[in-house]
Amino acid sequence: MSAPTARRAELLPRGKKPKNPYWVSSIGFVAPGVLLVAVVLYLPFIWTSWISLNEYSGLGDPEFVGIENFTAMFADPGFLVSLRNTLFWVIGTILLPVGLGLLIAVLSHGMRGATWFRLPFLVPYAISGVAVGVIWSFVLQTNGALSQAMAFLHLPGADLRWLLDGPLNTVMMILAASWQGAGVNALLFGIGLQSIPKEPIEAARVDGASGFTLFRTMTWPMLAPLTTVVVGLAIVGSLKTFDVVWAMTQGGPGRVSETLALTMYKETFVNNDYGLGAAVALFLTVITVLASILYLRRQLADSRSM
Amino acid sequence: MRTKMAMATAMLASAALALTACSGDDGGGGGGDPAETTLSFFTDKAAWESSFEDMNGASEGVAPELDFTGYSDPTAYDAFIKQSFRTNERPDLFTWHTGDQLAQLVDQGLVAETTDIWDEAIANGYVTEELAENYTYEGAQYCVPLNVVYWVMYYNTQVFEDNGVEVPTTWEEFIDVADTLVANDVTPLHQMNIIFEFVWFQAILAGLDPEAYDGLSDGSVSYTDPVVVEAMETWHQMQSDGYFIDPGVETDPQVLLQSGDVAMAYFGTFFTGQLNDLDMVSGEDYGSFLLPAVNGDQPQTPVVVETGPLCVGADSANEEAALAYSEWWMTTDAQTAWSESRGDVSFNPEATVTDEGLQEITTQATSEDSLQMRRYLEATPNDIYTVASEEFGAFVTNNDDPMGHLQAIQDAADAYWAENS
Repeated sequence: MSAPTARRAELLPRGKKPKNPYWVSSIGFVAPGVLLVAVVLYLPFIWTSWISLNEYSGLGDPEFVGIENFTAMFADPGFLVSLRNTLFWVIGTILLPVGLGLLIAVLSHGMRGATWFRLPFLVPYAISGVAVGVIWSFVLQTNGALSQAMAFLHLPGADLRWLLDGPLNTVMMILAASWQGAGVNALLFGIGLQSIPKEPIEAARVDGASGFTLFRTMTWPMLAPLTTVVVGLAIVGSLKTFDVVWAMTQGGPGRVSETLALTMYKETFVNNDYGLGAAVALFLTVITVLASILYLRRQLADSRSM
Repeated sequence: MRTKMAMATAMLASAALALTACSGDDGGGGGGDPAETTLSFFTDKAAWESSFEDMNGASEGVAPELDFTGYSDPTAYDAFIKQSFRTNERPDLFTWHTGDQLAQLVDQGLVAETTDIWDEAIANGYVTEELAENYTYEGAQYCVPLNVVYWVMYYNTQVFEDNGVEVPTTWEEFIDVADTLVANDVTPLHQMNIIFEFVWFQAILAGLDPEAYDGLSDGSVSYTDPVVVEAMETWHQMQSDGYFIDPGVETDPQVLLQSGDVAMAYFGTFFTGQLNDLDMVSGEDYGSFLLPAVNGDQPQTPVVVETGPLCVGADSANEEAALAYSEWWMTTDAQTAWSESRGDVSFNPEATVTDEGLQEITTQATSEDSLQMRRYLEATPNDIYTVASEEFGAFVTNNDDPMGHLQAIQDAADAYWAENS
């Protein structure tokens, strides 16, 4: 308990709750915000949850079918491919944009002209995901820029069908997303590195630590709070991957590169199966929230125990 | 007192916020002279705005004016139209899709009946009875045709000339043309693995057995029936023989045809506009012909026809004026103006089509020698089409064993017809 609160509690008569004379007016001030959140967040969530238990084409009235949409969802092989691809995206995003971001930040830390070194990595972040998808489609399409360049250099793999064969297309799209996302992670890690106090690092240097040992034993543990945030954002962001995939393959050919967010969109708006789309949306929400809670609880517990 | 005032103000603000979200304008008033009315008009054909503006010029004084709202994302547009029927903002006039999608609106009583308009238009020769089938549900018609598209084969005249091949009139001649082009290292045909991945299935099966093609749309024929398998095997063989461009090439088909990267492209007549935009001249740089039937014993050549409806929202603010507009839309004057503005064919055989190539296609497609067939997308229930488009997309990409794909589509068809037969 913080000190001012403790002092207020001492001043109040024992057994009496603190009474705010302005509580009536405070409701009036809080109400617009609460109402806004209720209308734009809670109501849609409750509505989506309800629709997931119904068969609904967007027209007429929903028809209650219980958990039928959920059983249909898990029985659909396309959904399982989508789930696998989403897992690839989570792992890939942690390894590549986060890993590369860390590498760029560490390499450029303390370097003269570090801003200029980091700037090119940051520029793609200003582009929308759809534009990134379109640009990389030009590069990765059959006989596109990459294949032509590889053929010119007589490199093996020039005839690979980058966007047609799964899971290769998912891997390539993760690379495209990394091109966009690494810069901002480098920026965040850069801020983290700057906020690390110099004294312990200097002390470690005096004790003979340098290079990777210094990073592993001193810098990395001290970066932990920021790493928690960056990785947490990466997990949530990758679970709802949509724009790059939509722009590059639309989840195809067939359904081989679909992610859960794409499945949700296609079932709802392309196939007019709002119930099944809502079931996928709910599933995606649950795993996103669960992943966030599990990850953050573990990370925060670790940092408290440090 | 001040506290109460502040509270009241905040409460009012929040109530106003909620009401703003829920309120709606009732739209323009109905009644009066339809020609003086302005209709709220919605479409997913945002790129056609200038043509609809031209139609406002043509309708001046004789039919209502359109207040155009165009969407460029068809999926977002469909969701918007569906939502609009849950509000007081029903569109007076809007474009939609035939087939299953229109059936859903008809089932819910959301579109106005147009049987009288169709009867008069057929009597006046503005439209064929064949086309009316696309708009008929339980004996009554709904909506009128916005446009009609015939699916034909476009070809690059220079490539044909350079390779010494001519427009084929039979399937055997068509195969000979393709073989000659392959032998000369020219890719004969365009094909895609998204959006139009189904078109070669429809072209081959309709050309092989039109009744079987029709039977797929009502469940009387199975996707694993021998004739359907034969159609897929034919397609499979054509892919194996190198007839098609790699579906991973994402360059626009009109650009590929212009550059000669493909010699032919099977497309709807809307493709003419896309070629003209590249300054290609009909009859000089490119030509078009009806794809000969695979089975030459058929008395008629099947022509796949795609048609999109122009619908009147039931109980919309200007329903009567919108119906008057629909009636005018089918007339020869309106359709001549439309055809001129779009540079495209019209469903009205009386309308003047300025492009000679398109005029020829229209004459052939509406003659006794041709059999008009619905496009696969509109002819197939949505639940089956969804699976089919994915399977055809994968088949085009991998050119693997057709049976697995046909079985997957038939499984979807079995599930659909079990509930909807």
